[in-house]
Parts: sequence; C-alpha cells; structure tokens
Amino acid sequence: MSSWIRMRNTFTQRYEGIMLILPWIIGFLLFVSFPLFYSLYMSFHSVRITGNGILHEFVGWKYYSNILFQDGGVFYDQLLPFLRQILFMIPIIVIFSFMIAIMLNQKFFGRGLFRAVFFLPVIFSSGNVIQRFLSQGKGQLGFLEQYSISTTLSEYLPNSWSTPIVAVLNSFVLILWYSGVQILLFLAGRQTISSSVYEAARIDGANPWEVFWKITLPAMMPFVLLNTVYTVVDLFTFPGNPIIASVNPTQYGPTSALIWVYFLIILLTLGLAFLLLGRAARGTTYKR
Amino acid sequence: MEKILNVIRQRHSRSGFNGLGERLRLLLLGREADKGLIFRLFIYVLLIETAYLYLNPIFYMMSTMVKGLPDLLDPTVNWIPKTIYWGHLKEAWTSLNYPVSFSISAALSIGASLLQLIACAMAGYAFAKLNFPFKKFWLACLIFTFIIPPQVTVLPLILMYREVGWVDTYLPMIIPTLFGHGLKGALYVIIYRQFFSVLPKELEEAAKMDGASMYRVFFKVMLPIAKPAIVVVFLFSFVWNWNDSYSPMMFLFKLQDVPLSVALVKATAAATTEDGQIFAQSIEMAKSFLSVMPPLVLYIFTQRWFVEGVERTGLVE
Repeated sequence: MSSWIRMRNTFTQRYEGIMLILPWIIGFLLFVSFPLFYSLYMSFHSVRITGNGILHEFVGWKYYSNILFQDGGVFYDQLLPFLRQILFMIPIIVIFSFMIAIMLNQKFFGRGLFRAVFFLPVIFSSGNVIQRFLSQGKGQLGFLEQYSISTTLSEYLPNSWSTPIVAVLNSFVLILWYSGVQILLFLAGRQTISSSVYEAARIDGANPWEVFWKITLPAMMPFVLLNTVYTVVDLFTFPGNPIIASVNPTQYGPTSALIWVYFLIILLTLGLAFLLLGRAARGTTYKR
Repeated sequence: MEKILNVIRQRHSRSGFNGLGERLRLLLLGREADKGLIFRLFIYVLLIETAYLYLNPIFYMMSTMVKGLPDLLDPTVNWIPKTIYWGHLKEAWTSLNYPVSFSISAALSIGASLLQLIACAMAGYAFAKLNFPFKKFWLACLIFTFIIPPQVTVLPLILMYREVGWVDTYLPMIIPTLFGHGLKGALYVIIYRQFFSVLPKELEEAAKMDGASMYRVFFKVMLPIAKPAIVVVFLFSFVWNWNDSYSPMMFLFKLQDVPLSVALVKATAAATTEDGQIFAQSIEMAKSFLSVMPPLVLYIFTQRWFVEGVERTGLVE
C-alpha cells in the first residue's frame, strides 16, 4: 500500500505538469513544428495545387541556387541592403533604450508621465501606421537635413553602404520608436540590481562614473543580450521588410526557399549577437 | 559671545573656501549619479527633448487630420489649424468601413488576447514550476518558437487551413491562441514563466497540503497572484493583435469584412489613384488615427498598471 502511494507520488511528481503543458505541446506540433518541416520540405519541391490535392515534385537545390547564384534579385537587391540597414538599427535601438531606461529609473518629478510617453510607441510601432509616417517623411531629424549629411555621406561612402545609412537617418525617430519594449525590459532589469550594491560602492568612494561602468553596466549585460535578441527578432519581422512583401501564396517552393535563406540569416545574426555579448553577459560577477 | 563667534569664524576660514566648494560640488554633482542638480537638469533637458522627438509624428498626425483646405494652403499655419475641419475624419470613417471593421478587430483582438492570457499562463506555469517529460527539450522548443519569424510557417499554414476549410474565416487567428500560440504567443509564455519562477515554493505547497489538485492550485492560487503579468500580457496581446495585418492578409483572401488593420492597407491602395494630392496626407492621418485610437485609449487607462506590472513581473531572464 505504502509503496503504491510512493509510486503514485513519484508519478504525480514527474508528470503532474503534463496536463497543463499538453495544450501548448499540441499547439507546438500543429502550428510550429509541422509547418516548419513542411516549409523546409516545400523548399526542395515544386508544389502545385490541383483538384485532386497537392502535388510535390522533387527539384533538389534548384530554388536555393536560383536565389543565391542566378536570379538573385530579391536577395542581393533587397535583402542585403535591408540587412545592412538592420546592422545599424540594432545598436541604435539597444543603446538608446538603455539610456532612456537608466534615465527613467531615476526618481524625479513627472517620471510617470515620461514613462507613459516612452512606452507609447509600443502601440504604434507594431502596425501599419508607422508605414504612413515613414511615407510622409515624419521620421526625419530636422538638423540632419540642415547640414545635408545625407549628400555628404553618399559622396564619401560606397553606394552600397551610404544608401542604408541614409535610410536609417531618414527614419531615425521611427527607429527610436522600436525601442518601447526594450525600454521596458531594461527598466525591469534595472530593478534586479539591489540598492545595497550602490550603497556599498558609495561608501568605498566610487564616483558616479565608476559606479555606472563597474556596477550598472556589467549587471545589465544579460539584459543587453536579451534586448539584442528581441530587437533582432522584432526587426526581422517588421512591416515594410522586403521579404514579407515577397511572400506570396502562389509560388510555394521558391518562396519557401527564400524564407529559409532569410531564417538562416536571422539565426546567424542571433548567433553573432550571442558570440559578441554572451561572454560579457556570462562574465559578470554579479549574480541575481 | 565674541569668543564663540571667533571660533566659528576661525573654523570657517580653516575649511573656508574648500568647504564651500565641496558643498557646491555636492549640490551640483551629488553623492550619486542621480542626485546632483546639474545631472537632474541634464536629464530633464534630455528627456523633454527626446520625448518631443518621439511624439512629433503623433502631433503631426493629430494636427494634419483636422486641417481643412484653407489651413493646408496657408503657409503660416504650421501646427495649430485655425479652424478644425472634421471632413477628413468623416471620409476616413467611410473608407475604412469603420463600424464593421472596428467590430471585427475588437472581437478578434479581445478574443485572441483573452485566450492567450489563460493558455500562455498555463504553459508558463508548467514551464516554471511543474515537472513533465523532456522539459528541457520543450523549453528549447519554446525559445525556438520565439525566434521563428511568422513568414517561415505562413505558407504551410495556408495550405493546412485550406485543407480544413478555415481560409477566409477568422479561425486561423483564434485557434492557435487556444493552445498558447498565435501572435507572439511564445513571448507571453516566457513572460509568465519568468513571473511564476520567482514565486516562493511554499505558496503552492501550502495549497497542495490542503489537498488541492494541481488545476485548483493553478486557477485558484497562482492565476490570481499573477495579476501584474496578466496586465502586461493582455495589453501586449491586445495591441499586437489589433495592429497585426500580416496574418489576416494571409488568411483572408476573398472576405469583404476585414479587420481594421487590413482595411487600413486596402484603403490606401484605393486612395492613391483618386483624390487631390492636397488632401491625401490629411486623410491618411485621419485613417491612421482612427485605427490606433482604440488601443491608445486602452493604453491611457491601463498605462499605470502596465508599467507597474512590468516592473513586478521581472519580465526578464
């Protein structure tokens, strides 16, 4: 009897979560893993939808070589400039949101109002409204135009780099708008550093500058990594991205191949972020 | 008396200028980075400046949409129109088919966010506190789900939904949320997981000791405590579902009655051909305003709990 109870207990111990997680797992299999593998499968096949069902015909690496070596229109003319643009946007967003979060963390009069303002873009930046602002040139910084920085840049830099930089500058304000969630994450992260650490540093005679570099920044490194990952994921799916535009439900095979190339680039970018920031994030002596 | 004053004077002259400088330095720079006067001032200037930059497009939207013809042509009118003209809003209202598309958007995003709020909480709680086979593997799947762009899976999903006859219905936006997926579902699971994993173990143990089943523990004890996380997830989910035009565009081919986000895209395509260029911007802005107004209103009312919630969830890994 007692052994039965023990067995029952270990069983519930081991499997009690299954009922709560089961829906998620079913959903994962249905809506994530199946489509994922199917899309990989489609990228090697020519897919035709007929009256009798869906026909697949194996074509091997044809679509991939098309994208990368032969046609290349979408990949080299649209995707690569977009990636260069993103390369600039990621650090801008992360650094900006870090600064704003540090400032918003101070106690000062009107803090709530400022917080509300800086989270406001969370509402706008996820939708099509931002496209409307972009198309009306509402993301520009006035002083950049005054000093005609764009023309200077395009004179001194090769075209492949000046175009994305100018594009970034032209929509600078809206890029800052993409940092709503990141500011939130940094703010929440800042709360995890206990004030006693700061007190101790002050007693030891550290000045504000040192405190920032020796305590705040190292302790926030995991959040920098987290936010970089979030920003990468967010930017790669944002409206107005050339890949989103080229997904059309008529050419299943080629589009799937393109999407997989794109996905591999995202994974590569994330891997790079982990490589660059991961060690710094892990190397912090500070433990939560 | 004279003696005392002398002592004070002496002391003053000894520390003298130095002490004053020290005090001034303290006042201006502060003991810590955030305490000094200069720093305060600097922060205010910086914040006001960035806040202005930030809000500039929104101000532009508000002012442009109520400018009538005379104000648009008048170069002296920059921000504040002389007369408020409601015509653009009226036109945007009809071109968006506002009452219909608003109701669809509202129903879809409220439904999806309520389902995500509960389903993701279940998954998040299981990931944080319960045991099940291959937990590490599923956790890796969760993180993987988070980084997959929706574009990767959208084509197979279209085929799949076509097979079961869900294309041109609203089901593709709702059914995945029932399982804790749907738009950014993985993120919400991660948020809940983070929230539940910092709660003390004693809480559920006490409930279990009293003989409550796992379901009861979850719905009666854990979910009610999770209010901060719920607010955050609900608001995110509502706003993102409201603004999402991608999946409705992919799954609704022939449907006449579309959510607001899709109506916004379609209405633009129609407007560029007709109409004078002068009004185009104003009408665009009026449409944009109409489509973001509902989440904006929601945000204004919930913003306080939202910010608090974010801080208390420890929304972080």
